[in-house]
Amino acid sequence: MPTITIDQREVVVPKGATILDAAQRIGLEIPTLCHLKGYTASTSCLVCIVKVGGRLVPSCATVAVEGMQVESETEEVHHVRRTALELLLSDHVGDCLAPCHFACPTHMDIPLMLRQINSENLREAIATIKQDIALPAVLGRVCPKPCEKGCRRSGADGAVAICDLKRFAADQDLASLQPYLPARLPDTGRSVAVVGAGPTGLSAAYYLRREGHQVTIYEQESQLGGRLRREFGADELPPNVLDAEIATITALGIETRLEMRLGRDLALDGLLERHDAVLIACGAVGGGTVESWQLKSTPRGVDVDKETYATSRQGVFAAGNAIRTKGLVVRSVADGKEAAAAIGQFLAGSDVAGAPKAFSSRIGKLTAEELEAFVAGGDTRPREDPHSKAAGFESTLAVEQAGRCLHCDCRALHTCKLKRYAEMYGADPNRYKGERAVFHQDLRHSMVIYEPGKCINCGLCIEIATLASEPLGLTFIGRGFDVRVGVPFDRSMAEALGKVAEKCVEACPTAALSMRDDHCLCNVQILREM
Amino acid sequence: MSTDLDLSFVDQCVEQIGRGREAVIPILQAIQQHYRYLPMAAMERVCQLTEITPSSITGVSTFYTQFRHHPVGQHIISVCHGTACHVKGSELVQDALEYHLGISGNGQDTDAQGLFTLEKVACLGCCTLAPVVQIDQVPYGHVSPARVPEILDDFIKHGKKSEIQIRRQEGERPAHIGEVRVGMGSCCQAQGSGSVYHAIGMALEKSGAAAVVKRVGCVGMCHQTPMVEIVPPEGPTRFFSRVTPDEAGEIVLHHFQPKGLIRRLGRTAARWLDRWISDEIGLPVERRALDIAQGPACAFLRHQIHLATEGNPGADPTDLDEYLRHDGFKALRNCLAEMRPEDLIEVIRASGLRGRGGAGFPTGMKWAKVRETAGEKKYVVCNGDEGDPGAFMDRMLLESCPYRVIEGMSIAARAVGADEGVFYIRAEYPLAVRRVREALDKCRQRGLLGGDILGTGFRFDISVKEGAGAFVCGEETALLASLEGKRGMPRLRPPFPAESGYRQKPTLVNNVESLALVPWIFRNGAERFAALGTPTSKGTKVFALAGKVRRGGLIEVPMGITIRQIVEEIGGGVTEGRRFKAVQVGGPSGGCVPADLADTPIDFEALSSVGAIMGSGGLVVLDDRDCMVDIARYFLHFTQDQSCGKCTLCRVGTRRMLDILDRICSAQGRRGDLEELESLARAVRAGSICGLGKTAPNPVLSTLQYFHDEYVAHLEGRCPAGKCQDLIVYKINDQCIGCTLCAQHCPVNAIPLTPYKKHTIDDQLCTRCDTCRDVCPTGAVYVE
Repeated sequence: MPTITIDQREVVVPKGATILDAAQRIGLEIPTLCHLKGYTASTSCLVCIVKVGGRLVPSCATVAVEGMQVESETEEVHHVRRTALELLLSDHVGDCLAPCHFACPTHMDIPLMLRQINSENLREAIATIKQDIALPAVLGRVCPKPCEKGCRRSGADGAVAICDLKRFAADQDLASLQPYLPARLPDTGRSVAVVGAGPTGLSAAYYLRREGHQVTIYEQESQLGGRLRREFGADELPPNVLDAEIATITALGIETRLEMRLGRDLALDGLLERHDAVLIACGAVGGGTVESWQLKSTPRGVDVDKETYATSRQGVFAAGNAIRTKGLVVRSVADGKEAAAAIGQFLAGSDVAGAPKAFSSRIGKLTAEELEAFVAGGDTRPREDPHSKAAGFESTLAVEQAGRCLHCDCRALHTCKLKRYAEMYGADPNRYKGERAVFHQDLRHSMVIYEPGKCINCGLCIEIATLASEPLGLTFIGRGFDVRVGVPFDRSMAEALGKVAEKCVEACPTAALSMRDDHCLCNVQILREM
Repeated sequence: MSTDLDLSFVDQCVEQIGRGREAVIPILQAIQQHYRYLPMAAMERVCQLTEITPSSITGVSTFYTQFRHHPVGQHIISVCHGTACHVKGSELVQDALEYHLGISGNGQDTDAQGLFTLEKVACLGCCTLAPVVQIDQVPYGHVSPARVPEILDDFIKHGKKSEIQIRRQEGERPAHIGEVRVGMGSCCQAQGSGSVYHAIGMALEKSGAAAVVKRVGCVGMCHQTPMVEIVPPEGPTRFFSRVTPDEAGEIVLHHFQPKGLIRRLGRTAARWLDRWISDEIGLPVERRALDIAQGPACAFLRHQIHLATEGNPGADPTDLDEYLRHDGFKALRNCLAEMRPEDLIEVIRASGLRGRGGAGFPTGMKWAKVRETAGEKKYVVCNGDEGDPGAFMDRMLLESCPYRVIEGMSIAARAVGADEGVFYIRAEYPLAVRRVREALDKCRQRGLLGGDILGTGFRFDISVKEGAGAFVCGEETALLASLEGKRGMPRLRPPFPAESGYRQKPTLVNNVESLALVPWIFRNGAERFAALGTPTSKGTKVFALAGKVRRGGLIEVPMGITIRQIVEEIGGGVTEGRRFKAVQVGGPSGGCVPADLADTPIDFEALSSVGAIMGSGGLVVLDDRDCMVDIARYFLHFTQDQSCGKCTLCRVGTRRMLDILDRICSAQGRRGDLEELESLARAVRAGSICGLGKTAPNPVLSTLQYFHDEYVAHLEGRCPAGKCQDLIVYKINDQCIGCTLCAQHCPVNAIPLTPYKKHTIDDQLCTRCDTCRDVCPTGAVYVE
């Protein structure tokens, strides 16, 4: 039973145990991608590197010997681990999050919503939507749809009808007996004043309240809605839809004070006395007015920190058109949510950094050939818009159209070890970006999808197939940078994997091998658990 | 996919080679030789007939560069991209070949007629004749873009010469018979010694002169090849250098009298007639007679001490009797008769011998480790996978002194307790493979290998395995994987091969040169070996001296000699008018030692202290026309191409380093690139698993250290050496006499034909092929 030390911590391990085993014993997580207990360590990913006797060695295959002194959590070791991760990411032809995710200012999980609509889980769809958009029925009518410009299919046979599908889910929800009401965290005892009940204020109020904060909306008009009531005609945005959607927000328990105008009926100092934080979401505002509130201004309104929406005054935040004069409604909705996140951090007394940016590896633009092949592998039905603009999608067509989504987002979004460690080590996926490999999805297997671009060459699937004596099996093809896992004799994955398909998918550290959606709704299940 | 492919050959070859998993590489080699590529149907057939799995055959056949998966043209043109060839313009030769054959290069490698397939090879090991191109088995040295059409023409006209059996003499030569020796190493052959050998044979045959022609091994003087040595029955031996086939007959007949009066008269008359017609006076060959005792040849040899390469010049490489006459197998005989295995290890330990493959691990320690490891079965493997571009001493030793290596291996086997040995020789060295096989057969016939060696009861035999084109297989764990019929992927050590090697048995892996030194050490004593060299580096080291040096060749020098002595005294310095800039030592794992550090001695520690390594012994001299950024890029291109592709830092890291260097060399460099390059290089060096990855950053780090200003110049859009194509322009100055040669030769018509006027180059059309500069008689073409 050798005793070794890892970062000065002693650990006794059975004979033959590796440094990685030893680290697990003391609850230290050394990252590893290519290693799986029970299989030969391939020592290929090198993210499990540790320092022993002045040399860097892979901990997964280095046997612990008596007296060994291991360094794991040092800057030097972390630098090499991070470099290995960044190198893997530089050759990773895969998106964690779909392009539409980035195109929409609210960064809503569009593909998930589409899959939920496609499988007729409208209750789940609205929950997904409301995770990021407080006013989907409104946006479903007034948004210029930047998300659809981001959709990969927009470059081929027409984007998925994302916006109308979102509206469909929201309308169905509003029409239901019990519109969706999110779970609310227990009261925090802190309160926030939201000045203005336009899209920014409503959105911020919604997310602040969900977090358990007391929210009071101060609105100068006699009705909530702000510019939503002024900028759109009744045929474009029927008032009853707006009323109904606002009702889903106030239903969370939000106090509203109408006909109260900052500077006339209210003073900022007074608000700060009564509340723990103030969000100014009053819409476009002139520099003089801003300065009369003793806030710094810009030519476009209130001067704020771009990430946190914090103004020059402690506890005062501003968002929406109050900081940018003229913005899309969807931008205001996003601002409201992001400002709420920053205010939440402020109220919790933690570091105010703003809403966390999601980590994502990104492929970028696909070539025409890549796109053609990608679309051909999906649902090939053409885009169809709602037959009646006023009524929106009818159910059958909506379900069908949602199926056009190509699932650009990663099937292993919540299980991918590469993503997990990249986030943990702060790896920059663009640091070493070079010429990328061709994007390709192999869909010839009934259950499994193979994406060679996401493969990190750990070789686990090859070994699993070999140990199971699969007659065809898998192999490394080629050498060096171009090496990839493939099927001998140009045959199909279905023939290669045979009975070990599921085992290989489970072992795959990324989503190079993943189950087809109809075989695994793991994403949804995991989300439910979360 | 042709369904009518006759697969009966596959059945035969499996029958012959075997059905085990280890047979995969030899089977694939046989299939490729037969079908000229690997038809998928043939590979599937192999899987049906043997234990070889589809996974294994696919993995292996796509790992090694030797294997082709598509049909090829009638002839294969291999363009050498070794270091020496690179610095002498192999890229330009490649471009010229592509241009003349109409090959685009993007995935296409065969001309439209299906006549020629163009292939890049890492190194043909003929570095002193750089740049080298080989068409099928015919090598061409000193190729330039302008010579490409001529070479293609020559091959089509004379390429396939029929093999003619020539009188050869083995064993003792009768006293009255003279001998003509022709150096027949691979590089000599690239320079045309095959034709010389043939011409001499024909001349002797026709004239009936009292002499035999004999092929001998390499003498290292590659800059003088083809070399012919005349050994008359009496009197001094004479050397002739750079002999052409036409001259060869003259030389022979000048020294040896034809038999019979009639023939002699006929010969005289014919010669008189020849002279009268050709107006030739005197013997043209005399001017190239070499005097070994003085002059340049003497300078070349003066500092050398030949231990591994001892006593070569006179010997027919595979003549066992000749080897035995020169104390061959005396050391083995002595070891078997009088010494215990422990004593053998002690001798090697005392000699201070360190592995000559590159890392310099003490050989005695390695032997002791294998001996100490318990095991019934042990192996000795001779690592002949010399893959460094720019190094060819292992090839030369195997081609010229196979018995010496066999003897060294046998002694090693005795010392460690092995009864089986394997030669792993890279596929690019067919001559070495042939000669070693021949030598092994002869040893077996004489009881020097087999069940009862020299009647002592010692049992040992050796087989030969051919590599299939993978530099990484020089790494010992990758080599062993390759021997076992796997992809040549290195694995983490420990366990070391000494504990668990070939077939999981204790295995001694030694380099060719290390083993070649062993017999000398036993015959002359460890003390004499240890007396040479420096405190930590004993004995001699063989180097392949090439690049921008006047006298290139294979040299063996005592450790401790300085780089400057090698370059200036042995090599005769750089070409006149050029400035000695640096020496690249150690190939892709080594570094560039700048001229002002040229007093660094050849010593394992001294070389690594200046950022180079001893490596396997490539020594490429660079002058002021060599761009150091380009050199770094060249090596990185090589290593990233040769990376097995297993570990991230090497597989992706070397590629990203190359991306940065490519940017820098093509005027796309960005701020921060140099810092990023260095940081990445250090991470790759620190974290890679095997020697290839750990040393791959060396050429980059050493040039960054010593030639930082050149990197900076590139970032500013200048290539001071005038090498990087995207940073230079070809121009013509006032020395132009309007001879139109450049315009005639320009392959892309970038130079308008303007007789008697100064020519101009259209920069938009110019491909920087260098042909104009090459053909200009007045040196009017220059690079800016």
